[in-house]
Amino acid sequence: MSRLAKFSGICVFVLALPAIVLAGPHTDKGPGCGLGKVLWSEYKNTESIGPQLLMATTNGSFGSQTFGISFGTLGCTNDGTLVAQEKVNVFTAANFENISQEMAQGQGEHLASLATLIGIPAQNHEDFFVLTQTQYDTLIHSDDTTPTAMLQSLYLAIDEHPRLLNVALK
Amino acid sequence: MLLNIRVVFVHVLIISLFSLLWTTPSHANLIPTEDSPYLTELLDKALKLGLENSRYWQLLLHYRKNTFGGYTSDVDDPGFFLAENGKTNPKDELIHTIRAFFSSDLVGRSQQHAQCAFIARYHWLMEKLSFDHQRFPKVGCKRFNHWFEELNAESVTLIFPSAFMNNPASMFGHTLLRLDQKGQTSQTRLLAYTLNYAADVTTENGFAFAYLGIVGGFKGYYSTHPYYLKVREYRDFENRDIWEYHLNLQKDELKKMLMHAWEMGNAYFDYYFFKENCAYNILALLEVARPDLALTNQFIFWTIPADTVRLITEQPNLVGDISFRAARSNKIKQKYSTLTSDEKTLLHKIITTPTEADSQKYIQQPRTRQAFVLDLASDYLQYQKIEDKATSKKTGENLHEILKKRSLINEPSKPFIVTPVSGQPEQGHKTSRIDAGIGWRNDSFFEELTLRAGYHDLLDPNAGYTPDTQIELLKASIRHYEEQNEFRLEEFTVADIISLSPTTALFRAPSWKMRAGIESVIHDQCKLCYSANINAGVGIAMESSLLKREVAFAFTEIDANYGTAFDEDHRIGGGGTLGVLADITSRWKVLLTGTYLQYPFGDQSHDIRTSMQQRFTIQKNGAIRLELNSREEDTETLLLFQAFF
Repeated sequence: MSRLAKFSGICVFVLALPAIVLAGPHTDKGPGCGLGKVLWSEYKNTESIGPQLLMATTNGSFGSQTFGISFGTLGCTNDGTLVAQEKVNVFTAANFENISQEMAQGQGEHLASLATLIGIPAQNHEDFFVLTQTQYDTLIHSDDTTPTAMLQSLYLAIDEHPRLLNVALK
Repeated sequence: MLLNIRVVFVHVLIISLFSLLWTTPSHANLIPTEDSPYLTELLDKALKLGLENSRYWQLLLHYRKNTFGGYTSDVDDPGFFLAENGKTNPKDELIHTIRAFFSSDLVGRSQQHAQCAFIARYHWLMEKLSFDHQRFPKVGCKRFNHWFEELNAESVTLIFPSAFMNNPASMFGHTLLRLDQKGQTSQTRLLAYTLNYAADVTTENGFAFAYLGIVGGFKGYYSTHPYYLKVREYRDFENRDIWEYHLNLQKDELKKMLMHAWEMGNAYFDYYFFKENCAYNILALLEVARPDLALTNQFIFWTIPADTVRLITEQPNLVGDISFRAARSNKIKQKYSTLTSDEKTLLHKIITTPTEADSQKYIQQPRTRQAFVLDLASDYLQYQKIEDKATSKKTGENLHEILKKRSLINEPSKPFIVTPVSGQPEQGHKTSRIDAGIGWRNDSFFEELTLRAGYHDLLDPNAGYTPDTQIELLKASIRHYEEQNEFRLEEFTVADIISLSPTTALFRAPSWKMRAGIESVIHDQCKLCYSANINAGVGIAMESSLLKREVAFAFTEIDANYGTAFDEDHRIGGGGTLGVLADITSRWKVLLTGTYLQYPFGDQSHDIRTSMQQRFTIQKNGAIRLELNSREEDTETLLLFQAFF
């Protein structure tokens, strides 16, 4: 026991957990945004995406492939909106709990970051915050609401908002 | 696992093929052959200038001076070197690098043209040798440019998630760099990318993990995770405070660092927990950005992240603003401490029964207070959802109900400022310690000298360290007993770790401790005999603030001793410890403990120990300690001056 304690590492060093990884029937073809593809195809149960994603990032092998400097998500094919949409999806899945909380609270950095990713300029963030707070029950109808479902409702709500309609990218 | 490896391999292969298509230079046929006169000219010039001996070349290749002359690179990936003996020969590596710039071959793990794969080397040599691109075509680095644009970095922040006791792997904290993007504000910093160095851990076995970690059995890589994933991991999942040190790097320094980071995408290092770890390799990146900084050479045996943070803050004109993100648990604790007792009662009801928020008593509260209590309830349920998997379904439902109620109060929550519990990490004492002092053991006078490798004990000055925790590694005490005129090793500690987690109305986590070492005991006829000792315990702790702050604790424990003093050379047993750790003033701290141990196995005996230890802080790296330790028929008084270095 004590040996383990003594010798365990100095830095972050989370043990490899069974990764979501690139295993299974689905393989990512080419240097696309691998992470998002894996997440959305492998994990129907989006409740678990957040934690799974975290496991993935702390698991070296997945982490270095997905976020590696030469191969990583940054190497996504750059055809504009696809990449932007992918970023919204991954961010929302990874931070769904914090985003939900901040929607109810009408402010917060996760919410501001989501607004930014959706393309809403800073001067319209206030509108976005009010929208997500007042329509919280529509956007997140139950504790089973998935990030994807929330985003779909959110885009619909933005479409009906006089000021956000034209600024958000879809 | 096998499947994983195969799939990853295929994945890498496919990507490599793609990158082949991407980076094949369009004018490959124009590139001169290796023997071109211009190449010869450049090689001559480089060697005449002695570039292989220059500091920047050594930084780019991670060369370290060997003890007996010559150089060795910390990088262990053969693909990082263009010369076969590049790991140990800076000159050959220089020659082969310049040569590779003229070749159309793809190199490195990422299979790019040498000018792109080793883009920092290329730019540095271009500047030093004034490349004439009329005579030597420059290759476009599309992949690098795309990556660089996507990072869109404007400045760099050093990120320090503080120590986390309940994962042995992060007991000393961690460091990484955040690449702050143009146009981001404090509200959207989460979207920045990070530069992180971590090991690729290939085992789930704790012992294999520890062993491979020490001997360099894992490969370490740099990676670029989005910052929001790191915040979620450290702040939300592991409940660690995150410190952010904004660095004043100039635009060109930043670009140099990123070009080098891109090169490092080509390379792995053997990861050594103690020295060549995350903190060490983050320092290496900063040296490339600003070669005047001498950082990595300050660490010889081990690199403790907190020490590197202190070192960085000591550099002139490097650190700007310092900010702080509180661990989720710390935020909850401080919010809770601001509640009135009525609000506390309501909070506890709401957490388990959200409909309590409809009660008359609750609705009478001002709307901002209603919102505050609901927000705290949702903070806590989020915490609980992660901590207690078994009830996470029910917790999730309650959380949803509470957030729904919160959304009906149409006003934004006010930001809540959390005060860091033990001050800024860079204000903490250094981690090695030397003690010198005098004492009496049963009327024998002695002088003592103690050396401790690391890191912090319960009585060391609190500033900058996780409260109520102790990690002592490799501590040796030598005594000179006047009467016998005898020098002896009195005590040797391999590891002595204590984590006290005070139980509060909202938080319950076990306290634990473990120790392994050798001590000098008086037992039966044997005076000052060596006893090897292993001890481990679990317990509870409570916190109060009668004087300033006190933590009382109780442990049940097992204890094993080995030594000639004992019948059958050993005894094994168990018992318990009670104690109080009290800050009397900001400088004066006291630790009182009492232990009873009964040994039914081996030498059947028992042991009663009491001690009163006090520390008085003189300054950041200096303290005085007074100890009274006693066992049956064995008492000791000790006065020590302590210096941290």
